[in-house]
Amino acid sequence: MKKVLLILTLTCLFFSCNTEKEVEYEVDPVSVTQGGGNKNNQKSTTEFISIAYADLFGTEISQARLVNLSIAYSSFGDLRVIEDRIIRNFLNDSTAIIPSTPSVNGDTILFINNSYKKFFNREATEFEKYQWLSMIRSSTVAGPLTVYYSLMTSDEYRFY
Amino acid sequence: MKRRDFIKKSALATAGAFAAPYLLPSGRLFAATGMRKVNHVVFCLYAGGVRNLESVHMNDGNLMTNIFNGGASISPDIAGGMEALPVSPLSSRLQNFGTLFKEFRYSSGPTGHYNGHTVALTGNYVDVDLNIREHPSKPTIFEYYRKHNSPQQSAMNSWWIANTLGPYPALNYSNASGYGALYGANFIAPTSLISPQGFDVLGNPRNFSSNEEAISKNMRQFVNGMFNHSYADGSAGVINTEADSALLQQFISTLFSNAQNASWLNSWGAGLSVMNNDMYNILFAEEVIRTFKPELLVVNMQDVDICHFNYTGYANNLRKADFAVAQLWKTIQSTPGMADDTVLIIAPEHGRNFQSNTSVDAFGRSALDHTAPNDPNFNGDPSLQMAREIFCLIVGPPSVVHQGQVINSVMGESTEIVPAIADLLGFESVISGRFGLKPWSTCDLQAAFV
Repeated sequence: MKKVLLILTLTCLFFSCNTEKEVEYEVDPVSVTQGGGNKNNQKSTTEFISIAYADLFGTEISQARLVNLSIAYSSFGDLRVIEDRIIRNFLNDSTAIIPSTPSVNGDTILFINNSYKKFFNREATEFEKYQWLSMIRSSTVAGPLTVYYSLMTSDEYRFY
Repeated sequence: MKRRDFIKKSALATAGAFAAPYLLPSGRLFAATGMRKVNHVVFCLYAGGVRNLESVHMNDGNLMTNIFNGGASISPDIAGGMEALPVSPLSSRLQNFGTLFKEFRYSSGPTGHYNGHTVALTGNYVDVDLNIREHPSKPTIFEYYRKHNSPQQSAMNSWWIANTLGPYPALNYSNASGYGALYGANFIAPTSLISPQGFDVLGNPRNFSSNEEAISKNMRQFVNGMFNHSYADGSAGVINTEADSALLQQFISTLFSNAQNASWLNSWGAGLSVMNNDMYNILFAEEVIRTFKPELLVVNMQDVDICHFNYTGYANNLRKADFAVAQLWKTIQSTPGMADDTVLIIAPEHGRNFQSNTSVDAFGRSALDHTAPNDPNFNGDPSLQMAREIFCLIVGPPSVVHQGQVINSVMGESTEIVPAIADLLGFESVISGRFGLKPWSTCDLQAAFV
């Protein structure tokens, strides 16, 4: 009996011993990119004007107006000055489709995300949403016009 | 440290401080140049193709009475085609305030407007067909000026004012390595920008409050910081600082406002029906002068090119351009900071043919093209090269420019204007002989200066 118990014990001990597993800790590959990181192509003059008009007015720009804008564009050497003026002119047009202020102060994150989709064709990253919320909440004058103006005169809006 | 060592090291450091600017590489802090002769240069391209027979030789009478001495009346057969202009705004004709080179030359290359402008602004003849959609391959005077002055100058001090679009906007900077848009001139084509069509798209911008501007700036800086490209790296043209951009926006608004005021448009008293594109271009250039007092300004006129089909219209526009130049000098001399401290250079980009074409105008005069042979070995009929014969007038303070001097011999050429401007503004020695430029020491235009 003692022999049987000894054999059983040894057998159990034999099968209970396992080699120590080597545990490896590693990070799964995660793609980390900037929100607008894939935009490497600069819009041409015509593209910039046409897209800006469509984004604000919800319709295609007329040929006559496009020609006038292109002439104005070519008539001044600092294109950023002219583009800034074009955007300001668009924003001052009563027919431009601009959200009301409550939509900014209400669901601000929704407004920012919609604005990013409209102008940048992407969603804002979590960090961008956080920063925008902070900027808008901390300013008494931040509103749809200032937000739209900032986005449309930014470098990213010039690229696709 | 011992006293002897201290003195020795201090002396060495002091000597180094004086010598260092001249030991730095080409981006040196202090340009090793001569003294400036003046602080402002205005170069008026009396362009469009002006034939010496009508200008300095007065074959049809004196058509440019504000610039040239001489009382010959206009040929009777075309006198009826001349519009009345106000009396001269100057106390004396412009040539009395400087040196006139009657037989200046556009010596080489195609006698075309864009070629001529490119030669005048780069100091290099262009003997090949130009791609009018590209910037010149050699640096322009604007880039030399902005890069080689110490301190480097902003674009607000350097202006190119063109009477039309087409290829001319591209002349504010070149594709040359080490130069380019970073050193380009502020460009404006005012008669295209400040127009009913321009007002329709630019004349009513949203004006933000200072607080709105500030928050917008913060927002934009944040967005730009999250993006890995800069528009300025691409084709944004000449870049002005934020403060200068605000001034330019204000200036454009002022121009739009002026343009809606008939009395401003008729500042010269010539009558709105008489004012042509050239005259308006100079009128707007005067606003640039009064507002920014630039150290370097180039402005052109080209309405005389009507001569391709209307000779009498050409003569009439010669007179209008002449009147406009007089107004330009009057403005320069009445602008504090520029008065008596500006040299005005006036020259056509090229001339016109001796032989007429087949167009005949209402006054029976035949029209003229500008097609001089481009063969450097040409030894045929000299009259075929008449499109290369132009004049050049240098006007300025008596301490800088010989007054009332007239040079009748063949002397000077178009490629000397860039070295002349560089010498006047004190940086010629830095660029002398580089990029194909004619060294100032070999230029005939030196004869104009005291």
